[in-house]
Amino acid sequence: MAKKDFTDDLRPHPDADGAKKLASERSRSSIDTDELANHVFGSAYLERQQRVLTALEPEKIFSKANQANLSRPDRYKLGLARGKRMRQLMDKHGWDEADILMAEYLIDDLQPYHLHLSLFNSAMREQCSDDQRAYWTPKIESWEIIGAYAQTELGHGSNVRGLECQATWDQKTKEFVIHSPTLTASKWWNGTLGRTATHAVVVAQLMLPHGPSGKLVSYGPRPFIVQVRDKKTHQPPESIAVGDIGPKYGYAPMDNAYCLFDHHRVPHSALLSRYASVDPDTGAYTKPTNPASVYGSLTRGRSVIVMNARLVLARAVTVAIRYLAIRRQFRDRDDANPEGPECAVLDYSTVQIRVLPLLAATFALHYSGEAMRELYERTRSTNALDGDQAQLAELHSTSAGLKSLATDLAANGIETCRRAMGGHGFGGGTGLIQPNADYLSKPTVEGDNWMITQQAARYLLNRVEDVKKSPAGESRSRTDDNLRDYHARASTPPKSRQLSDETIAAAFEWRVSFFAFEAHRARYIQKKSWNSMLIDLYKLSRAYAQSMLVGNFYLAMRRSTLSCSTTTEVLGDLYRLFALNTMDAEAREFQKSGAVAAEVLDTLPEQVLHLMQKVRPHVVKLVDSFALPDFMLDSALGRYDGRVYEDLFNRAHRLNPLNRLTFNPDYRSDEIVMGAKDGADMLAKL
Amino acid sequence: MSQTPQWVRDLKPSGPQGSELLKEERNASNVNVDQLATFLHTKDGRERKKRILKVLESEKAFDKSQNYFAGRIDRFETALKRAKRLRQLYVEQNWGTEERQVANELISEPLPYGLHESMFLITIRDQGSAEQHQKFLKPAENYEYIGCYAQTELGHGSNVRGLETTATWNPDDKTFTLHSPSLTASKWWIGSLGRMANHAVVMAQLVIAGKRYGPHPFVVHIRDMKTHQPLEGVHIGDIGPKFGYNTMDNGFLLFNNVKIPHIGMLSRFSSVDPKTNQYIRPSSPSLVYGTLTWVRSTIVMQAGGVLARGVTIATRYCAVRRQFQDRDAPEWEKGENQVLNYTMVQIRLLPLLAATFALHFTGKGMMQLYEANNRKIRQSKEASKDHARGAGPEETESSSDLLSDLHAISCGLKSLASSTAAEGLEVCRRACGGHGYSSFSGIGSYYADYLPTATWEGDNYMLTQQVARYLLKSARSVLKGNEPTNDTTAILSYFLSRQDQGAAFDILGDDADVVSAFAWRSAFLTFEALKHRDEQKRSWNSLLVDFYQLSKAHSQYMVVKSFYETLQASSTSSELDPDTQGLMHKLFRLYALHTLESEASEFYTSAAVTVRQIQLARSSAVMKLLEEIRPHAVRLVDSWDFPDWQLDSSLGRQDGKVYEDMFYRASELNPLNRVTVDPYPNSETLFRKDGSGELKSKL
Repeated sequence: MAKKDFTDDLRPHPDADGAKKLASERSRSSIDTDELANHVFGSAYLERQQRVLTALEPEKIFSKANQANLSRPDRYKLGLARGKRMRQLMDKHGWDEADILMAEYLIDDLQPYHLHLSLFNSAMREQCSDDQRAYWTPKIESWEIIGAYAQTELGHGSNVRGLECQATWDQKTKEFVIHSPTLTASKWWNGTLGRTATHAVVVAQLMLPHGPSGKLVSYGPRPFIVQVRDKKTHQPPESIAVGDIGPKYGYAPMDNAYCLFDHHRVPHSALLSRYASVDPDTGAYTKPTNPASVYGSLTRGRSVIVMNARLVLARAVTVAIRYLAIRRQFRDRDDANPEGPECAVLDYSTVQIRVLPLLAATFALHYSGEAMRELYERTRSTNALDGDQAQLAELHSTSAGLKSLATDLAANGIETCRRAMGGHGFGGGTGLIQPNADYLSKPTVEGDNWMITQQAARYLLNRVEDVKKSPAGESRSRTDDNLRDYHARASTPPKSRQLSDETIAAAFEWRVSFFAFEAHRARYIQKKSWNSMLIDLYKLSRAYAQSMLVGNFYLAMRRSTLSCSTTTEVLGDLYRLFALNTMDAEAREFQKSGAVAAEVLDTLPEQVLHLMQKVRPHVVKLVDSFALPDFMLDSALGRYDGRVYEDLFNRAHRLNPLNRLTFNPDYRSDEIVMGAKDGADMLAKL
Repeated sequence: MSQTPQWVRDLKPSGPQGSELLKEERNASNVNVDQLATFLHTKDGRERKKRILKVLESEKAFDKSQNYFAGRIDRFETALKRAKRLRQLYVEQNWGTEERQVANELISEPLPYGLHESMFLITIRDQGSAEQHQKFLKPAENYEYIGCYAQTELGHGSNVRGLETTATWNPDDKTFTLHSPSLTASKWWIGSLGRMANHAVVMAQLVIAGKRYGPHPFVVHIRDMKTHQPLEGVHIGDIGPKFGYNTMDNGFLLFNNVKIPHIGMLSRFSSVDPKTNQYIRPSSPSLVYGTLTWVRSTIVMQAGGVLARGVTIATRYCAVRRQFQDRDAPEWEKGENQVLNYTMVQIRLLPLLAATFALHFTGKGMMQLYEANNRKIRQSKEASKDHARGAGPEETESSSDLLSDLHAISCGLKSLASSTAAEGLEVCRRACGGHGYSSFSGIGSYYADYLPTATWEGDNYMLTQQVARYLLKSARSVLKGNEPTNDTTAILSYFLSRQDQGAAFDILGDDADVVSAFAWRSAFLTFEALKHRDEQKRSWNSLLVDFYQLSKAHSQYMVVKSFYETLQASSTSSELDPDTQGLMHKLFRLYALHTLESEASEFYTSAAVTVRQIQLARSSAVMKLLEEIRPHAVRLVDSWDFPDWQLDSSLGRQDGKVYEDMFYRASELNPLNRVTVDPYPNSETLFRKDGSGELKSKL
């Protein structure tokens, strides 16, 4: 700890008193933050957050004070210690699965056990036969084994069929031989596997001998449970080479792995056989029955991604808005008083245009994520409507576009917020460096954001083909309705002149239909190559996802039961801000499709500016309603109490370990740390 | 030493090898890489780089193999070791400014002497009197004084007038008292200050007899020359880890009534007369922004090369990486498609490839303008040698039109170029898909170190106001009927004379017309903004978004124009063969039309082009250009001439051995793999066998 010195008595300049600034911001708005927080998260969630937070806060191991200074091996070590402690707390407090996920979210640092909790666990649950489940579940739940999920390879990502790792059935010994024929067949990126796991679900091409020649035939990628390390020594067997792949942009505590197999033998029971199996006596293959639940779980997974994107964006926006409401820079040029105070940075329209649409986008993501989750839950209940099932099937295809848009919005949004904070945005005091680095993996994992837009676009092209074949056919979904409506009226585009809440949403839908028909014409009539259309398909998918966000936001506004009239009004403004700002950015598409009249499009920048002015007094309260605890934010700039400068100084002066060393700056001397006589050691470190 | 078993070491990547794929790429294009590289970097420049690379590669201190693994403190220590060795090399090898710059680019990490070597020396040189040069500059040049430049404060950034630190003149003992009245007065972000500097140039509000005279520079001794501990009343430290730049000790600094002698105030332009206690006013403020203009021009020039690193890595990797079969490919054509063949990858990478050249030529053009302007100033100084001081305002008048034009342009271009480079690097990283997320891509940490460029030397958004202010001023002058005196007023006058007839630019057929269309849009937006401000009396603040757009539009015009002019220059046709010239024209069109398409509504609203033209620009022109440039992509990035040692990237290797190198770094260089863990939650043991330090001592 630093000793007492004259800096202890210093206070920020009176114009830079963050606590006062935030208090005055909060007094300017009559939004009921408790009600809004309940509206967004529900009381059960907020209660859970509070309960788990109370358990975590006293634990020193979760302190982030020195985290950003540590080397990669130390970050992993810290992660491991935290993971162990979290599990111990789980036992102590009797936490359920939702509690432990909440704890992980609040600790805000991915632990080496993460894949054991997530993908390994769900793969085992979904892919094991009943016998396998009975055998493995207790071991998984007690963490007697630690599991990982090994699918992606060094040379193969999104294209699962291209995987090279093989599992060949040996009829004589009734074993599978797992083998990596090349270097690119190495498993790669698999979390928890690098140093931590004892077991892994390995996805490999199932190879079965055929006919008298015993020629091997591939039956596609299947999951196998493989023990990768010894229970006692924690070393891999000689036939497995496994290790950590080294540092990444983010996720420092996670041991993402490489893993190679040299004719490694596993028993017949290793093939997870809920859906497909190999007869141990004949070597015959039983085909998988297509699991009906697959639609649902993918949609649920995507709704989790969207809800998560919302939280990430909420975090960035919270930090930015609080800090920018406090930060002062330059006087207003139109201010007659030359000695007047400097402007709050948040009052600059160039700052608002970057941050406030993101605040609106946070709510947009929220309502779409919620709509997806509700749909999923409705379809799981017995009284599900047929329409819901059709809608779910549609979401299965189209949610790829939403994943792409939502993760792009969040990843780019953090960076936009960080830059909007100017110089201090580059510092550790934002609390956004690590979330940024961690989250940046999202646009390229679980389907690269550009690649997967083909899924949504392909679905739309198929729907257009159907509509054109039988224009009077039965509509199965909202999208069908829109396409049919467009087909009937294509020659008379609406060219809206009035932008009411309803016509805004309709304009987004019209634009989608227009470009879906355009793309259909290009592919089916002009016979353009798929590759030459990829950029158009990307835009089509994006238009569709934007329309989903706007449409769900609109429906949520119509259904709103909030009692606070200010909140209702401000949420309506946020809806229009999100929609019109998006429309302005894509103005050319709205014009070309005839969705909105050109003169109206010209007025959008001014409307957006006006909406931002209306929302401005409420923004601090709006981010307060996200209820993000300081413990999780770990941000000097985004603190609830506004003590920005005091905290920045405390971190630099009192918490920073670099300041405990005195360096020798003279280039003629090889000494680096004064008195350490370490010149020679330094070279050894390289 | 290696723990990797033999059977693993024998493995090869499947399918066509990366090295074969890149060889095929290079065979499929006739771009003369050598010639183009020389055109970009000059013969001298390339030889210099080779020579210095050879020296650095052979020095153990600059070995990069553990860079991606170390913690902040180790990284700083290593950086200090490197900085010392580099300085020794400067002396041993007699390296001048250009050599030093090349060495730093090759090492590619900010080093702790950075601010001493740049802003500290520059400021004393530019703002110190002859006596001060003798007293401060000599020991500083000899690295006895290690310095930094302390301007920014915790509570105050771009607005220099808001600084809180005070320097109060004491008439009794002829000293200044430096003081930090509040916490927000703390100097903050100051490079080379946190742990390194023993002296600082401190910007503080000069106070004489209770009256404030604005911020002025003072040289202050801050750490003991022997113990390197802060002096009494001085409080210093490093501000902690950042997004990037972690090898630099950005610092904080507070003064508790610290007295410094009269000579501490740098007094070339303004000073306090110790006898009368009177303030002596600066004679030539315009010279100060000359330096900033130069700094910004350098940023523009470097932005091309910065972006080119990302583009080189992504282009090579996307040529090696294969994913999915082409949906339209015939059955017999087995194997996955090179990622670079996907149009959705091309549309991200190839316009950025074009932008690397565009920015490079623009920066070069600005440097030339800057030097031309400096010559003019020097000439006018020569003409008025009898004046005791430097050029006064009346002398700089002869070139002031050029200077203010250059100043405004440099603000806008700095903003556009550094944003393009920073955002472009991230686009490149993401275009590398999953592996782009690995540190071994070589893009992530480089991007993190580059990012502050977007906020320093003027925040990219804030700066655009200066461009707008200048354009509005120029427009008012044109409206008054004044004759055009520079390019800006020329395009504004042209627009004014033609706006009623309208424009008919043949953007798809004629390159010169493309440039004119950009000029037209910029002029249109200028007069629109003027209307808002002067006729509709809109508030300045409500126009900031418009100003930002305006600045961007004008800067894009400047880039397109510079690119076009470079291609027209006679030196270009003499140095490049006709095929390569043709390809450069295609890159020009790709940059211009792709920009035009993304800003379509402004071009359309200004009536510079028709809707039909915009549609054609995208649906046919841009798509066709992508197809035509695609075969040459690898050779084009080769011409940027980055040594593997500089890129330090598995994905961007010149020889295409992407997978071998990823694997080598993961399994051989990675200290985490020397560790055996205890994974069970109820055991307090974390590492059973901690060999993570072994590697260090073994090498």
